[in-house]
Amino acid sequence: MDKELIQQIRDKARNLLKEGTVEGVIGYERASDDLTSRPLFAYSPSDTERLIFDETCAHNLVKYLLDKKGKKIAVVVKPCDSRAINLLLNEGQIERDNVFIIGVGCPGMVETNWNHKSETLQAKCRTCQLFKPVVYDFLAGGEIERQAEEETYSDITEEEAKSVATRREFWLEQFGRCIRCYACRQVCPGCYCPVCFAERLDPLWVGIRIAPEENDMWQTIRSFHLAGRCIGCNECERVCPVDIPLSLLNRKLEKDVKELFAFQAGLDPEEAPPFATFKKEEVMEFEK
Amino acid sequence: MGPESPFTPYLATLKTATQLTPDIKLLSVELEDPDIKAGFDYKPGQFALLSAFGEGEAPFGIVSLPLQKDGLEFAVRRIGTVTRALQELEPGDTLGVRGPFGNYFPLEDYVGKNMIVIGGGIGMAPLRPVINSILEQRDDYKELLIINGARTPQDLVFQPEFPTWMEAPGTKLELTVDRGDEEWKGRVALVPDVVKELAPSPGNAIAIVCGPPIMIRFTLARLRDLGYKDNQIVTTLEAKMKCGLGKCARCNIGEKYVCQDGPVFNLEQISQFLEQP
Amino acid sequence: MNLFASKDDVIRWLGELLKEHVVIAPVRVQEQTTFQPISQVEDVVFDFNNTALSPKGWFLPPTETLFSVQRDDGKVELVPTKVERDAVIFGLHPCDARGIALMDSPFLQEPSDALYRERRSRTALIGLACRQAQPECFCTSMGSAPDDPSNVDILLTEGEDGYIVQAVTEKGKALLPKGLAEYKGKVPAPPKLEAVPTKEVVSAMRELFNDPYWEQVADRCLHCNICAYVCPTCYCFDMRDYADKGKVERVRSWESCQSPGFSLTAGGYDPRTTKGERLRQRFCHKLLYFPEQFQDVACVGCGRCVRDCPVNIDIREVISNLKQVTEAKSGS
Ligand code: SF4
Ligand code: SF4
Ligand code: SF4
Ligand code: SF4
Ligand code: SF4
Ligand code: FES
Repeated sequence: MDKELIQQIRDKARNLLKEGTVEGVIGYERASDDLTSRPLFAYSPSDTERLIFDETCAHNLVKYLLDKKGKKIAVVVKPCDSRAINLLLNEGQIERDNVFIIGVGCPGMVETNWNHKSETLQAKCRTCQLFKPVVYDFLAGGEIERQAEEETYSDITEEEAKSVATRREFWLEQFGRCIRCYACRQVCPGCYCPVCFAERLDPLWVGIRIAPEENDMWQTIRSFHLAGRCIGCNECERVCPVDIPLSLLNRKLEKDVKELFAFQAGLDPEEAPPFATFKKEEVMEFEK
Repeated sequence: MGPESPFTPYLATLKTATQLTPDIKLLSVELEDPDIKAGFDYKPGQFALLSAFGEGEAPFGIVSLPLQKDGLEFAVRRIGTVTRALQELEPGDTLGVRGPFGNYFPLEDYVGKNMIVIGGGIGMAPLRPVINSILEQRDDYKELLIINGARTPQDLVFQPEFPTWMEAPGTKLELTVDRGDEEWKGRVALVPDVVKELAPSPGNAIAIVCGPPIMIRFTLARLRDLGYKDNQIVTTLEAKMKCGLGKCARCNIGEKYVCQDGPVFNLEQISQFLEQP
Repeated sequence: MNLFASKDDVIRWLGELLKEHVVIAPVRVQEQTTFQPISQVEDVVFDFNNTALSPKGWFLPPTETLFSVQRDDGKVELVPTKVERDAVIFGLHPCDARGIALMDSPFLQEPSDALYRERRSRTALIGLACRQAQPECFCTSMGSAPDDPSNVDILLTEGEDGYIVQAVTEKGKALLPKGLAEYKGKVPAPPKLEAVPTKEVVSAMRELFNDPYWEQVADRCLHCNICAYVCPTCYCFDMRDYADKGKVERVRSWESCQSPGFSLTAGGYDPRTTKGERLRQRFCHKLLYFPEQFQDVACVGCGRCVRDCPVNIDIREVISNLKQVTEAKSGS
């Protein structure tokens, strides 16, 4: 744990609350296992003493800004998470003036589960090229220097090389385990439709059966709705209780969008995703 | 006798479908099995789940009178896929019926009382068997005041029965709409305001109120202003229901399961729920 | 009287059972252990922490067809699903067995759920006592224990060089292999677990209903369905029709009170719209409504929700916090 970094986060959060700049600060605190971390909503200056930051702070807290629309909120944001802020700004879901971004330089997150912390960096972190958030109001701890591997998509090219039948078999096997808990959707900053297609009855897109064909349909549409919008936080894969490798799907689409449109989601708040060159008014229309 | 699994509906035939309002149809259905038909005992306020096979099941109050066994009646308003499919059925088509479920209006407790029945829109559905039961045993009750509101004149649900209700002894039918049309000569007012205007006395009275949540809320407030006690005001609660049997753990409001403990409650009972509807 | 079976005896026995029964047992799938019908005894895992999903799915499957609708010349016939074979669930930990016993309350209450009742009466439960507890386990605070034989037909306890076999019910006795020797030794002591103040909190739940605590703790809840789907006692379900190429079935699938549209009616009314109200439903159902309805708390302390909640809403911590809230209230 970087004590100085944590102190900076706490000081900033405390001052923001004391001065009344924000109503709440969303950050991280120690989890009940005394080892990993979990989101913390701090509303009073004294709550800020519980704020921490270390290599277990994997959650993308930007998602919670969608619950706090219209309120002034500060949020602790890692470089990867910060792309979600740009996504939501671009899509008219949050207002820049309502959000105070406490950015942190990031050493990379390790694989964690409750009461388990491995030494291995998460795969997305090994290739992460961002050393500080793409957008922030205050940078705690300054920029970090570290080495990152190049994103080669080698696992994706390997998959692409396999026959359609082999891939189909692989995915049906994977989706056969899906229990439709929708954690992957609930955690995703890009998933915020008031009624998800998966629950829409009229027209019916996908039935309620928790069975390979429906699960397959569910994940196919989910991942396509995020094509060009997924910012690569990999929260969906991390929370999946049955370990479905969703990053393979998401990164395949990311790779295609990058190749076809030279676009990566969330790097620039001004540039709209290629499949989303609609206006805010149209988003509202679609949500009805 | 009945189906072995409580989830297997009784098969029934649609006898007639009558368009009551632009979006509400009255379905009259007959259970196929004569034994089941004979044993299908229900009371005003109870509900059944109707199946449109291929779409699913949804709950509806039984709006016919208990003695009526060859034509169970349901007022179905088109609001989703199941109700749409039910409305699309043709006479002679097969549908499913599960029930009767839930509790009922304790009409025997209201004997000797003045009855005020207040309904808005489709909320008149559960009230229709109440009104008709009172009219069946007219001497058992004192005055009957019916206040029926709807968005527009076409949306007044049980129009064919209005003449009977109006002509019944000791009975008054007060109609009101939110928006009139060229032909409408009656009231244009909200139900709670009509309640205020008519000010039915709370003395020896029971008020039964059903309708959209907003109408209920303001009507209850007006009744309280008039001096009605919570145990004099009765309503039905709405909840998402799937099983009807207390098994799917879905329809609860606080500790009460609407499908079993309800749907009929008086305000005194509701005020004691942990969760307020 | 306790009997003794070597591991080979147990494996042979399972092989025998497999001839006449569906045998559901813990197996490895990827990195996880989970209950599945097995095709060969070699796949069975004997030493495992609580499985990814609980064995409740055998009785209340994630998805099942309740009946199919057959149309013949305009005539409709409903053909209910039948339970075809006797089954054995092998290796349930005592918490999971108690979970099944708790599900009996709503499902066997008259009119009982036909499929559940059929499967339940045709399934024998062979439990496996826990020699080790995980940090997330708290069964002893929820009416069970690592060596609790109450809800199984046979309980196995791992001893030196084999298993101590205890036939609990007549059904269990009938299932035992012949020729096992009597076990006269001591049964190893179960692991000790930390206590959670369940009783105090259950009795105070009504007073806690309107406490601001619920909104606070729900702030970080994602309202996914993980906690309900991994839980051995959650039993909410949805029912809809499934129509495909002329085939029509009534299907039921798991659902959870945490999912956003759960209590929203077709007419647009929803008694629970805020995050706090929704999360409170989960805890109130477990700690208040279910106990009022069926006497028991609807949690067996298996720790799965603790292990799998992505944002660490830890039911033990919630219970402890609630106790503090109660104490603060009565103190002031
Ligand atoms: S799809 Fe997954 S990786 Fe992409 S933004 Fe959503 S949660 Fe993050
Ligand atoms: S998190 Fe995993 S199990 Fe849950 S819906 Fe998503 S893919 Fe399926
Ligand atoms: S408590 Fe945890 S597992 Fe349950 S719905 Fe909330 S986030 Fe999901
Ligand atoms: S609530 Fe959690 S600990 Fe209790 S039985 Fe369910 S999953 Fe296990
Ligand atoms: S806690 Fe929620 S999901 Fe579980 S049984 Fe109760 S209402 Fe259903
Ligand atoms: S409708 Fe299933 S419990 Fe009430």
